[in-house]
Amino acid sequence: MNSDLLTLAPLITVIAGAIAVLASDMITPNRNRAPIAVALAALGGAAALLINQGTSTATALGGSYVAGPFVAFLGLLGISIVSITLLVAPAYLSARRYPSAELAATLLFALAGAILLAAATDLITLFVGLELMVIPGYILAGYAKRDPLSTEGAVKYFLLGSFSSAILLFGIVVLWGLSGTASLSGIATALAAGRANAGLAVALALITTGSAFKIAAVPFHYWTPDAYQGSPTPITGYLSVGPKVGAFVLLIKLFVIALAPLASLWIPVMVVLAAATMTLGNLVALTQSNVKRMLAYSSIAHTGYLMVGIVAAGAGQAAGIAGVLFYAAAYAFMNLGAFAFLTALQGRPGSTTQLSDLAGLGRQHPRLALLATIFLLSLTGIPPTAGFFAKAYVILAAVQAGGPATILAVIAVLNAAIAAFYYLRVIVYLFMRDPAESANPVAEGPLLRIGLLIAAVGTVALGLVPTPVIEAVVQALAR
Amino acid sequence: MSDMPILSLIIFAPLLGALGIALLPSSRPSLIRFAALGISLITFALSLGMLLGIRASGEEFAFSEQLAWIPSFGITYHLGVDGLSGALVVLTTLLSWICILASFGPIQTRVKEYFISFLVLETGMLGVFLALDLFLFYIFWEVVLVPMYLIIGIWGGADRIYATIKFVLYTLVGSLLMLVAILATAFSHQAATGSWAGAFDLIVLRGTVVDPTLQILGFAAFALAFAIKVPMFPFHTWLPDAHVQAPTAGSVILAGVLLKLGGYGFIRFAIPLFPDGAHLLAPLMIVLSVIAIIYGALVAIVQTDLKKLIAYSSVSHMGFVTLGIFTFNQQGVDGAILQMLNHGLITSGLFLLVGIGYERTHDREIAKMGGWASRTPVYAALFGFFLFASVGLPGLSGFAGEFLVLLGAFIANPMVAGASTFVMILAAVYLLYMYQRVFTGPLSPFLKGLGSHLTDVTPTEIMTLAPLAAMIVVFGVMPSILTSSFAQSVQMFLMSAISTVAR
Repeated sequence: MNSDLLTLAPLITVIAGAIAVLASDMITPNRNRAPIAVALAALGGAAALLINQGTSTATALGGSYVAGPFVAFLGLLGISIVSITLLVAPAYLSARRYPSAELAATLLFALAGAILLAAATDLITLFVGLELMVIPGYILAGYAKRDPLSTEGAVKYFLLGSFSSAILLFGIVVLWGLSGTASLSGIATALAAGRANAGLAVALALITTGSAFKIAAVPFHYWTPDAYQGSPTPITGYLSVGPKVGAFVLLIKLFVIALAPLASLWIPVMVVLAAATMTLGNLVALTQSNVKRMLAYSSIAHTGYLMVGIVAAGAGQAAGIAGVLFYAAAYAFMNLGAFAFLTALQGRPGSTTQLSDLAGLGRQHPRLALLATIFLLSLTGIPPTAGFFAKAYVILAAVQAGGPATILAVIAVLNAAIAAFYYLRVIVYLFMRDPAESANPVAEGPLLRIGLLIAAVGTVALGLVPTPVIEAVVQALAR
Repeated sequence: MSDMPILSLIIFAPLLGALGIALLPSSRPSLIRFAALGISLITFALSLGMLLGIRASGEEFAFSEQLAWIPSFGITYHLGVDGLSGALVVLTTLLSWICILASFGPIQTRVKEYFISFLVLETGMLGVFLALDLFLFYIFWEVVLVPMYLIIGIWGGADRIYATIKFVLYTLVGSLLMLVAILATAFSHQAATGSWAGAFDLIVLRGTVVDPTLQILGFAAFALAFAIKVPMFPFHTWLPDAHVQAPTAGSVILAGVLLKLGGYGFIRFAIPLFPDGAHLLAPLMIVLSVIAIIYGALVAIVQTDLKKLIAYSSVSHMGFVTLGIFTFNQQGVDGAILQMLNHGLITSGLFLLVGIGYERTHDREIAKMGGWASRTPVYAALFGFFLFASVGLPGLSGFAGEFLVLLGAFIANPMVAGASTFVMILAAVYLLYMYQRVFTGPLSPFLKGLGSHLTDVTPTEIMTLAPLAAMIVVFGVMPSILTSSFAQSVQMFLMSAISTVAR
């Protein structure tokens, strides 16, 4: 029992942090800084505990929770995501008289779910972790409760999210029934032994559909643009990164580990979904004049690139999972950075994120525009940024896998060229257009600046010196 | 070898300078201008020093530097220089300071950002020429895009945004497919040897790619990236737009160096890595080159814009480069490299001259000009000089390259040589016809209307043109200075270009 507590310590720290945040808000209400500070302290503690667990594996909860380098990597990534969001959000929220404490607590609960998800070795823990991660997302999407758009997005997100959870759960149950075990590796063994029948097709279809909803793959992506556009901008940043990374962990656990023996069945489906996801995401993003909505569609396209790694992993290339993990880290920094930039632009309630609002920003706020350029170039995949190396990594895995994965790699790079058009268009507005007459006031604040800077440093560092993260990723996968 | 990492110094001196300039106050533009000029001159001096060292070294690549960078995939920071890349490096550093000097007058807005972009561009270009690791090469290749995108997009003409986005998208499509080919090549090495060591290293990879599918597809992907950059017909349509919209220095560096990245890529990477694919697709490349030579010249004849005319003449001249490369014989390749260097000197001069004229007239419409020589004799004489060099007048450097390419083409296929020789007449037609309309005859009403604004070239402008003119004469009389400097590179290229099937 004692060792169980030690193994679960990061998870417990995060949950205790969430409760402490709520308590601190009750003691000193309406003080926005205090809950953020408490949350960051809890995150720091959890990070230290995770690093400590990063070198060896330990089990808890009767073997259904395995801590180790994989959890440490994803946990630290989650902590980075939540920390940047917590640094960026208060300026935006307080300008609109929304509280910060609830945000901090909700994010910490979601992070606890993500850690549980990453550590899960059986279907039940996996599903509990998933739900604990996504339910806070529904709450966050509706954070601006006086804004009808936010409420609409939240309701769509909630309805489709619970619907897909139900489909996924049904598929999980069928899989459990057919294989006779809830353990992920046990399922793989059972499937490899040939205990398969027609019911398996049902399970596979249901799990694929449910997972496709969670990662927002085309054609199950309809909730994303509305949920993303309606949410307060810093929260959109989190929603486009946190739950997406979590959903890909789900994919790794379900498809690459449990359903590995059925790879020949799900790979063709995944190839088609990935190609459709990146192409449609990019083509629709091309037509957007609102930067926030454009980034929402572009996040769909990035889902497609991440799926390339899953396909490669399914074909037996460990580099596929490594590529997904590296991509997830790169994507977290660059996309959070891009949304932090949009947050900084919306210093005043009601300020919009149209392309024309960005005109001439390079002259008025050169430093902010420079940071935005770094994020946009990274999202495009121009070296030497994180986004470039991430793309190269998943493409390398796909080329190794060969066959349909190689064709998918070619589709992915052609898509990157399409994406260049709309990302670079933002740079056109930043630097090549004259300033608009009534520009948005830019939000100030040291926390926001630190958040932006962390995202920028991450984006550049992962591109210039990717080796430490590659080694962490490779270590995370070595059992 | 000396212990000083001179190649890294050359590559990163402009970048460090750009960082230094970023710290200078925007309110002091002349300080920024001279700082940028100073940095580019230092880089030029360093590159000249490097050139002397290449001669002394007996190895294929001098001043080799190799550091582990991403060991998990065997990606290294590997630099090296030989006669070919050395000559192109010096061309780059030379044109960079000339461009910076030529931008003193024309660039008056956002001076600091301009010179930062230009110096970052210089770092990217030098990196492309000096990288011997495929991954590192690709990174520098892409790094070139961003500052050029900004230079055209911010300081360009009226349709600059269309032109700059077209430039980037064309280049990206080609280069991204090249990335897939690079990764596939590296993986094939890893699969064959069981180790990632050297998987991205050009020196290791040369002659090891045996998979016939990879030979063809890999070559096709590399060739597409380079063909877009050169640009070969039919991928040339971005070039006239980019040239017309770019500021003068942007056009100069585009024509002088960026187009050479494509030719260099063929010689250094595409053909040595994939000789079988290259031989298989060589007929297609030769046909496209001949089309580019003829088509570029024909389209140049009917141009009404001075800059566009020179842009199309570039398409024609660069056709000789690709034609020469794909003859796979010494004359052809010697000629191709000479043509790259000479085109860099001559066309850069022509773009500088068009820019100088534009500074006075704010117009490039050939029909509005006429009799310019009567007002500004020095300008007209300089223009005439570069123009004759471009036509290929014997004694000026343009002649030697085209002559050798045609000789090489004649050995390979007399038909091809015949068709291309005919174009040398066309070149004389479009250039001399343009010169006649712009500079001779009575002064046109438009030029007359400019009155005293129509001044002759200033000493600064002569300083930008004089080094180019001097080199055109020297290399015109003694092309062997150049051919001997890259003779070893050509020998190595010809050896690596032998099809593995034929071996």
